[in-house]
Amino acid sequence: MADLRDQSLRFRLRREWPAYIYLIPTTVVLLVLNAYPIAYTVYISLTDFGTGGPHSYLAYRYIGLTNYYTGFTTGASISWSLIENSFIWAGGSVALFLIVGLGLATVLNQEIRGKTVYRTLMMLPWAMPAFITILVWDNMWQYETGIINGLLSQVGVAPVDWLQHPTTAWAALFVTNVWLSFPFYTVVFLATMQAIPKELYEAASIDGAGSLSKFVHITLPYLRPTIIFVGLMGFLFTFNNFYPIFLITSGGPGVSTQIFITQSYKDAFELGGSPAFSTAAMYSVLDFLFVMAITFIVIWRTDLTRNWLK
Amino acid sequence: MRIAKRVATHVILIAACLFALFPIYFIIITSFSTLPIASITAHVLVPKPSQLTLASYHAILYDQSPSFASLLENSLIFAGSAAAIGLGLAAFTGFALSKFQFPGRRTFVYFILIISLFPGFIMILPFYLMFAKIGLIDTYIGLIIPYSAGAVVFSGILVKNYMDSIPDDIEEAALMDGLGRTEAFFRVLLPLCLPILGLAAFLAFIGPYTDYALANVFLTADPTKWTLALGLYNIANTDTGQQNYGLVTAFAMLMSLPIVAFYMAFQRYIIGGLTLGAVRG
Repeated sequence: MADLRDQSLRFRLRREWPAYIYLIPTTVVLLVLNAYPIAYTVYISLTDFGTGGPHSYLAYRYIGLTNYYTGFTTGASISWSLIENSFIWAGGSVALFLIVGLGLATVLNQEIRGKTVYRTLMMLPWAMPAFITILVWDNMWQYETGIINGLLSQVGVAPVDWLQHPTTAWAALFVTNVWLSFPFYTVVFLATMQAIPKELYEAASIDGAGSLSKFVHITLPYLRPTIIFVGLMGFLFTFNNFYPIFLITSGGPGVSTQIFITQSYKDAFELGGSPAFSTAAMYSVLDFLFVMAITFIVIWRTDLTRNWLK
Repeated sequence: MRIAKRVATHVILIAACLFALFPIYFIIITSFSTLPIASITAHVLVPKPSQLTLASYHAILYDQSPSFASLLENSLIFAGSAAAIGLGLAAFTGFALSKFQFPGRRTFVYFILIISLFPGFIMILPFYLMFAKIGLIDTYIGLIIPYSAGAVVFSGILVKNYMDSIPDDIEEAALMDGLGRTEAFFRVLLPLCLPILGLAAFLAFIGPYTDYALANVFLTADPTKWTLALGLYNIANTDTGQQNYGLVTAFAMLMSLPIVAFYMAFQRYIIGGLTLGAVRG
């Protein structure tokens, strides 16, 4: 038996060995430009690089888990806020994506005139690169010169200083994020809905089921795998969606909309002459611990890897 | 009742379209507007013909330093090289993972999958520290390397998934005709993968083309290497509160133009390709 397996392995190797050659460059990239930097980040987070006084830029020391300990026990520490904000950002966004996406897909999945026109127009936010439109949204949210307050004043609403209060800053971020993402969710849900056999709805109509009942008992169960999949992937993506927060609120006011990834960037590159590399690395590490956890949920709850390994 | 429902449907859809279109309309109108920033109110949105001008475009194209042409050239160098290198590697990766059953394949697939789920932004800090040590900051190659690396993983996944859908018979027929596996790959499989390679190239291009975070860190001392994303950020930067909306939107229009044109031409492919993996059940 063992012989047989060896032989099949040897046989497979003889037939399949070119694959290793093809994978050499990518393996180098994955090791040197992915695995090593991640390990390096973990190491930096265990040192006093940039946070241990001026000497620490030239000769930083290994200090174990001290950064993490002070990061979570000091009163002024922002680590807890970052966790909370990251989950508000990702959870709130995904909830809105699902509601808006499902709602619009349901409305579009009817016999209506101009369906194609509506769908094409709705897809237009996708045509422009997100970085550019987020910058424009940032300008639109400005207090004195922004067009949103300009429009509000037109209908007699007093201007809102959107980015100066936590609640309205979150509102601005969520609206922008929904604008960026709802085309994707609408199209995915619509495509899934169109694959549901029409007979099911006809049979339900004969049994006297209303629209709501049909949605709950036919549409939703059919959409379940898609909802779970895009919901989890959307959560993972939004958890680290850097530009909306970086460009619109910069994490402010204070740290009330700051998430791991933006705080890490700020500590490393936006403190002027004295970057705090070790805490920047720590926030990165905390970020990818959460990413790992969510990734395992994705693998466990979806067929992502099954499709992959076939 | 039925009429009420139909009206409600159209009201919802029109509202959604207005929401989707408003920022785009704002960008277009403002970029052609003569009105000064201080008076940006709703009036700006319905300009008279006499209030339209190309002045903002003129200012962007001729009065900026570094010049728009230089920014564009750098963006094309960075994004073009990254797309080409990343895609070349991704094609081989996709081929090996899709059409070979070599020992260790499962492990490799898991590895690349997990890597792909990590955000690129956490790599900026270690890249910066690594590249500063070997003197690659403020060089073209120093930025092309991480951009290409970013493209390999994502494009590799796209190509592999697409190749999975090509029947093995096609490759086997080529092998029967006496081609080697590498030959069969280049002459038979690769041409069949052109649609996905196009999409992968497009996405691999957009990443670096619109990257600010990494370029901002890697290109500090030398404005002659700055990219469009850095240029746009500097014009739109709100720290001063004095941003000129005409300039911001004209720049945004010019920078988006090639992307929008490509998107419009291949809309069906792009939307289909991006949503393919997400439709389940």
